[in-house]
Amino acid sequence: MEWAVFATIAVPVGTCLLLMLIPYRHDEQVRYLPVPKLGPLPDRLPLSGRYLVRYLCLLSGTALFALSLAIFVAYQFEDGGYRYDLRLDWLRDVAFLGDRGISFHLAVDGITAPLILLTGIVIFTGVFISWNIDYRNKDYFVLLFLLVSGVYGVFASLDLFWFFFWYEVAVLPMYFLIAIWGASTNFGNFVRTKEYGALKLVLYLVAGSVLIFIGIFATFVEAGLGTFDLPALQAVAYDETFQKIFFPFFMLGFGVLAGLWPFHTWSPDGHVAAPTAVSMLHAGVLMKLGAFGILRVGMALMPEGAHFWAPVMMTLGVTGALYGAVSALAQTDLKYMVGYSSVSHMGYVIMGLASMHEIGINGAVLQMFAHGVMTALMFTNVGALYDQAHVRDMTIFGGLAQRMPRHAAYWAAAGLSSLGLPGLAGFVAELLIFVGVFRAGYPWAGALGILAAAITATYILRMLARAYFGPFNERWNFLKEMRPGEQFGGAVLVFFLAFAGMWPFPFLERIAASVKNLPGISQ
Amino acid sequence: MVGMEHAWLLPTLPFGAFVVLLLLGPYLPRRGDWLAIGAVAASFVLFAFMLADLLGALDEGHFEGVSSGIDWLRFGTFHVTLGFLFDQLAAVMLAVVTFVGTLIFIYSTGYMKGDPRYGWFFAAMSLFVASMVTLVLADNLLLLYAAWEGVGFCSYLLIGFWHERRSAAEAAKKAFITTRIGDVGFLIGIVLLWREAGTFNIREIFEFAEAGGYSREYLTLAVLLLFAGAVGKSAQFPLHVWLPDAMEGPTPVSALIHAATMVVAGVYMVARTMPLFDLADPIALNVVTSLALVTILMSATMGLVATDIKRVVAYSTLNSLGLMMVALGSRDVTAAMFYLFVHGFFKALLFMAAGNVIHGTDRQEVTQLGGLAAKMPQTAAAFGVGALSMAALIPFSGFWAKDAILHGVSTHQNALVTALVAFSAFLSAVYMGRLYILTFTGRPRDHHAYEHAHEAPPNMLLPVLVLAAISVVAGFWTFDAVGEALGFPGSIGKFVFFEEPEELKFPSAIAVASIVSVVVGLAVAGWAWWGEARPARVLGERFRPIYQLLWHKYYVDEAYQWVIDRIVLALGRVIAWFDRVVVNDTGVDGTAGLAFFTGFELKFLQTGRLPNYALAIAAGALIAAAVLLAVRV
Amino acid sequence: MIPIQHFLVLGAILFALGVYGVLARRSAVLILMSVELMLQAVSINFIAFAAYLAPQEFRGLIFAIFVITIAAAEVGLALAIILRLFRNRATANVDEVDTLRW
Repeated sequence: MEWAVFATIAVPVGTCLLLMLIPYRHDEQVRYLPVPKLGPLPDRLPLSGRYLVRYLCLLSGTALFALSLAIFVAYQFEDGGYRYDLRLDWLRDVAFLGDRGISFHLAVDGITAPLILLTGIVIFTGVFISWNIDYRNKDYFVLLFLLVSGVYGVFASLDLFWFFFWYEVAVLPMYFLIAIWGASTNFGNFVRTKEYGALKLVLYLVAGSVLIFIGIFATFVEAGLGTFDLPALQAVAYDETFQKIFFPFFMLGFGVLAGLWPFHTWSPDGHVAAPTAVSMLHAGVLMKLGAFGILRVGMALMPEGAHFWAPVMMTLGVTGALYGAVSALAQTDLKYMVGYSSVSHMGYVIMGLASMHEIGINGAVLQMFAHGVMTALMFTNVGALYDQAHVRDMTIFGGLAQRMPRHAAYWAAAGLSSLGLPGLAGFVAELLIFVGVFRAGYPWAGALGILAAAITATYILRMLARAYFGPFNERWNFLKEMRPGEQFGGAVLVFFLAFAGMWPFPFLERIAASVKNLPGISQ
Repeated sequence: MVGMEHAWLLPTLPFGAFVVLLLLGPYLPRRGDWLAIGAVAASFVLFAFMLADLLGALDEGHFEGVSSGIDWLRFGTFHVTLGFLFDQLAAVMLAVVTFVGTLIFIYSTGYMKGDPRYGWFFAAMSLFVASMVTLVLADNLLLLYAAWEGVGFCSYLLIGFWHERRSAAEAAKKAFITTRIGDVGFLIGIVLLWREAGTFNIREIFEFAEAGGYSREYLTLAVLLLFAGAVGKSAQFPLHVWLPDAMEGPTPVSALIHAATMVVAGVYMVARTMPLFDLADPIALNVVTSLALVTILMSATMGLVATDIKRVVAYSTLNSLGLMMVALGSRDVTAAMFYLFVHGFFKALLFMAAGNVIHGTDRQEVTQLGGLAAKMPQTAAAFGVGALSMAALIPFSGFWAKDAILHGVSTHQNALVTALVAFSAFLSAVYMGRLYILTFTGRPRDHHAYEHAHEAPPNMLLPVLVLAAISVVAGFWTFDAVGEALGFPGSIGKFVFFEEPEELKFPSAIAVASIVSVVVGLAVAGWAWWGEARPARVLGERFRPIYQLLWHKYYVDEAYQWVIDRIVLALGRVIAWFDRVVVNDTGVDGTAGLAFFTGFELKFLQTGRLPNYALAIAAGALIAAAVLLAVRV
Repeated sequence: MIPIQHFLVLGAILFALGVYGVLARRSAVLILMSVELMLQAVSINFIAFAAYLAPQEFRGLIFAIFVITIAAAEVGLALAIILRLFRNRATANVDEVDTLRW
């Protein structure tokens, strides 16, 4: 299993390298390979560079999904410790580094197991969603898989140096993915170009990285162990003043990526500019890296600092939850709506973390999973519509449910999870967060959070009523049902939403086992 | 033998039907309606066995109900056990849900015939029954809340069943969001109760509360928040606005969800948690009573002028819900549950009979109906039974239940409350009489519709007639002899009660007053609307402002619309603008702009002239030397 | 014996003259000469310190020789640049050579 964890990073990197070897010309001829007829599948297989890229990505995405699922299922959760520990020395005994130094240290615990599964789900479905990308699809997939390797790296790394390295690997390909394959939109009174979205996203996240970098180095120096190894650093009891000073570096640095209010504006604009699968990864997984960083690095290293700053974090989290929901209410662009909804839901995650209470943090981690799946589904839907209609303004549609009933059903599933309908994953996560927040002594925050969930219902149902119900607008006669690939991806996502909603035990027993090991958590 | 421990089968059967219909619906013969009907009928049969089991247990002595559960979540200090609790309260509610549900499913095979989404209708209805049964059986507030949201979601799906119509889509949205506002309070209340007690189990919460675990103020706040959920779900003022609009849904949906079962879930929930209301400050029950009174009076008066046949019945539902809540406000669980029980039958009957009219004439405005008694005699008779039951004329079932409520109110509340409730009895007689007269008597107002009118087919008529028969007799459960003959310990008061079994009380003064007010009400209706309805028109003209006020439903919808448009959406737009212009364009782009501006201005230092650089180097060296010297000294 | 301060003052005066020349002159050739002056001022300091502080060692002297060598190389290079500049621009006035600006 150690090597399975290693493979989650090696497979996407290897896919990138293999993809680069595939010969590819823009004016290539498509040849066909006849294959035996199997059910509804086509009886001939197109063969060309463009298609080889897709087949390889499908293979790799499936492999990653299987690996992630295997790691999630196999994780032994009794004591919640790190499992499948793999440590390869990289640099030690030079200059300021001690004998542990920097090592390529991977492991999985109960918090990362669901997140690794989430990454597997999103990239697997992401390949299906991106199937029809024609323009330079080789370059696109190279960058996409590079990004994914970074995400896996962050979740699995136990060495702060590599943690930071993979963090950057996960962020930087976004720039090219958005700037090259994205879309510019004119909103009438303002314009958002894809270059703007890409630049803002990357600059913002790099600014956050600077804070993280400072925090990591301060910890390194303060600990004086000459190592970046996270378990070793966690064993150190840091001075309380030091914690109070340096926790905000992690809180804000990672918070930027988690969409912490008021450092969230890169996110909706990034979504508006990004292509579908990139939005899925961006909101589904990338924003989770931020919250995960606060938990894994910030709160685990500096529990007293976290305790000191928790009220601030709680306030920002609640503000984000309400503010995002109310902003989403006023949006007419589908991607902006989903983007602000992500800000709102990440506000819940921040609330759960800030509760510093066992139940709240469990809820926060589950919410990371639930929101990741849900928002991936939402972007699948937006993409499916946008690819055909080339507009995303909900007010000009109407009665689409008559034309695309399954598409509408997928929207409803995602939206209902988002507004916390019992039976879908969002409800369990939000309930735990609210319960934890109430227990931790912030009843006002819990009450406002529940109110934000009601506002979520308003904007989701408003969108459904406007675009999908009511009389059909004949102007959209040319629209067709979602592609089979999109439907399959959507079905996978809906399955996980419903599974985690009806039977969250497999997730929570893993999460809870590790959360209880965190320092400074109240029961 | 099937017994109470098989309670979990009750929701499982319809849920299974839902799953099968959802996945395989289009491939089944008749789109699988037989499966849905079979599942809900099996639930009813199962319920009958469970009831027999329960009665047997009651005979053996003191009985508190049977509960069973499974661990759903368990980590650290957080345990959630989801379980089912089958007791007398649940039994009364389940009788309505499964029995009326079965009849309505059968009725739907006629009413929904030929609809392109016929199979989906039965799937959604099955899901509703499963959720509703879960709600009734839930032994803990979390499962109750989950099912509560589940029935709300099914209501959303079914109100918006004909979502091609803009009005249906809007009504569905309105229903979901309005009830959701109440649910915010409900969920906060549940979490508040949990926060102190550490459990969601209703009985454990009771024990905790009785042991004095909650402070009085805390408990009062918590139960008021719980009641907020009931206000939304049971359409009490001020969250009543969604129920009349919900009539956009198909009529079977109105009958099952918006009359017999879902809307009374709030009443059921308050009855369930009555021990908490009882321990809380009296102000909590006073709030319940006051809101219920407002609801009663508003709905009864609005029913006087509405012209849509389903809407009038919907107003009568609001009226009934208010009555039940008033009973609960008077701590009279028996009366509330008795009314809930008989209301389930006669209200479903009214809706289904109205559905027959709509089905037969394709009209639902009473201004286009009239004289239908000749064309559809059975439906007219059944509707009459339902209307008289609603108007509470002796000996129809509504009379006995309303009498119980009036008695409970008069013993626990002041005279004004009693008088207002009695007055509403008069009003309900007036508007039910009006509805019947306008629909079934007089000259036809739309000849085309009248010519084509026909009696409903048997599969729609039979359920209506069955319910009509039950509506006549169900009220007799108020007598011990009837209850004992059926195997119950006696009258309903000895079966469902709060704290102590209640004896039958039948104060003749109240009964006489009630009968007189109903008869007078019916007489007034006959005087005003019979024939040409001239008196009604004259009154309408004379009191035009009042008529307008009632016609516009007290302008509550308009007020909400104003709040939503002018405050909520405006706030949303302001925040969105703030986010784009202030946070993003000023805060974020501004920072970037500042960096750019600084760079732009500073670049002019780069003159390209050697002497400038040389001067800067020399000056820098001098300054460095001076600083070094200064530091040294 | 002449006190070391005399040498140091001489070096300082020479250096200051050089700085003045670099800052005040326009002609590239004269600026180059002023730079040479500054270099020689440094050399004088080196030699003086070497002779007074550690007469047995030659480190200061070696540095002076280094400075002279480098100055020679520098003159060769700089004059070549100035020649090219003059060929291209027909001027050796540094104020007129400002293409390397914003």
